[in-house]
Amino acid sequence: MGAAAVQLTGHEAVAARYRDVDPVYGETRDIRLLGFVFFLIADCILFSSFIFAYVYLRTSAPTWPPFVNGHQLPWFDTSFAAMNSVVLFGSGVTMHFALENWKNLNKRKFNLWLIATIVLGIGFLLGQAHEYSIVNLTTTWQGSSMGASFFTLTGLHGFHVFVGVIYLTILGIQANRGVYTGSKYFGLTAGTLYWHFVDVIWVALFFLFYLW
Amino acid sequence: MTEAYIERGIAFVGAIVVAITAVVQLKNEWAARGLDADVTKLLLGLMAFGCVLALLAAVNVLGVHHS
Repeated sequence: MGAAAVQLTGHEAVAARYRDVDPVYGETRDIRLLGFVFFLIADCILFSSFIFAYVYLRTSAPTWPPFVNGHQLPWFDTSFAAMNSVVLFGSGVTMHFALENWKNLNKRKFNLWLIATIVLGIGFLLGQAHEYSIVNLTTTWQGSSMGASFFTLTGLHGFHVFVGVIYLTILGIQANRGVYTGSKYFGLTAGTLYWHFVDVIWVALFFLFYLW
Repeated sequence: MTEAYIERGIAFVGAIVVAITAVVQLKNEWAARGLDADVTKLLLGLMAFGCVLALLAAVNVLGVHHS
């Protein structure tokens, strides 16, 4: 039985296709990937700066939540945030499914999972907008260190999710126009890494604002 | 049944489903090599950890003083 008759699946199939990738593209892909990971690390440092500022403000405050005009501010709503967090984490899973289906050359399922990811991402943003409308009743951006930290960090994260939704939409359009192939799909890999990164940043924010 | 109760119920069920799926994907991804695979593994693991946090919040183990 010839080697060509052997049916490879999963990572073996992907690895086999990559063996056929031309060396120039392979090298370019590696450099792009490294650059993209550096971008994610830089973004991580940006979030870390704001997170450390929040931790400093919180631990140095005499009481938390702080008092404003003689009244202590309420805690944020954990129930709603937990539900909204699951929506975002779920979108990470669907994005992973999308990429895996692309690797396995199943374009129809790729499109379905990508659309599910975009819908969940928009759902999370709408949830955040709802959360803002409630929080804004008691805590404003300029009214307290709690409000300033909350709106700055979750706003920065929300902006990343918003950009991610646009990014994934563009990737979907590109994928359907034939920009990517079964062995050349760096853009999709980068998009998936970005989306996972946005998910993971939310893990930290969810803990800091709603559970700590 | 309060609104918070419904939200916690959805979070509870969703967190279990997503956490299990993330762990299964992590297991499937484990054999893959390369920088992108390694970063994906790290991020999937942290995402599963996030689901555990959401689960503990849904059952009032974490974030109790916020309620």
